[in-house]
Amino acid sequence: MKCKTLHKKLIFFLEGDLPDKEQKEVREHLEHCADCAAFAQEMKKTLGILELEKSPEVTPFFYTRVKARLENQEEKAEERVGSPVWERVLQPVLFSLLLLAGIYGGFKIGEPAVPEYSPATYAKNELIPFLNDMQTEPLETFLMEQNNGN
Amino acid sequence: MNEAEIIDKLQQGNETAFRVLVENYRNMVVNTCFGLLHNTEDAEDVAQDVFIEVFRSVDKFRADSKISTWLYRIAVNRSLNFIRDNKKRKWFQPFDDVVKSKKEKLNQLPSAHAENPESELENSQRAQMLHDAIDSLPENQRVAFTLNKYEDMAYKDISEVMNLSVSSVESLIHRAKKNLQKKLYLCYKKKCI
Ligand SMILES: [Zn+2]
Repeated sequence: MKCKTLHKKLIFFLEGDLPDKEQKEVREHLEHCADCAAFAQEMKKTLGILELEKSPEVTPFFYTRVKARLENQEEKAEERVGSPVWERVLQPVLFSLLLLAGIYGGFKIGEPAVPEYSPATYAKNELIPFLNDMQTEPLETFLMEQNNGN
Repeated sequence: MNEAEIIDKLQQGNETAFRVLVENYRNMVVNTCFGLLHNTEDAEDVAQDVFIEVFRSVDKFRADSKISTWLYRIAVNRSLNFIRDNKKRKWFQPFDDVVKSKKEKLNQLPSAHAENPESELENSQRAQMLHDAIDSLPENQRVAFTLNKYEDMAYKDISEVMNLSVSSVESLIHRAKKNLQKKLYLCYKKKCI
């Protein structure tokens, strides 16, 4: 058996999964090959950890803790279900209303305090159409007029 | 109390039945969770939730299956969910915390009746390496391997827990061992211990 073949069978050898013939071949190889034997030793130690870890000690208060957690969760669920309408519905509604009122108030305060129909407003209204006319005049007409003048 | 009695009383909300169930199966459940989580605290934490789920959903329990099959199934699902949630959390965890939790993990690995601190350290490194190798297996292989190794479960029982055929379980465990062997060989070559 080649070393490479052995590397593929070692774990099954250690677990006793191989057919008798192969089990024997691996054993014989390990007797003569130091490198494979070292690897086998390593793997055996590592897989041995699984045995050590089996059945960890469970805390003696395990049931008490389960019970406490269960009750705690039930209490919370009850709180959620049993809370009065005030907390679950009316409170959020009231807060939303307050918020909206605040926003509305903010807009109102922010608006410029313009007195209605002051003389300045009239003047502005008359100026705007004039400026608008200037803007709508096509550029070509303006240039043509200039050329004609020359 | 036998299994049927426990279930019957549990369905009536009997607290003694719940206590008996927890006492009878807690080692099995914690051990299964530990096999997947490699951490005693996490394993007990998840195991507690397993029993709470059992208590809450006992009405859905089908009388034709075994309590243990049902418990194993919940324990496996909850452990896998725990791992997924933890992975998500790690994305947001600062690097220092990751290092710290790795160190803590190393400290609580089995001291394995070690007389001298040197072999204790070696053991914990070895365990860490083995856990990493197991964790790198595809989920199905990992579950089958863990149930087989930590709980000494027969392929038939594993197949019931995983809802697979016996031959599928056999093949999963075979592939799991092959993959582990590959990882352990690489580690041996690189002298990672
Ligand atoms: Zn060799």
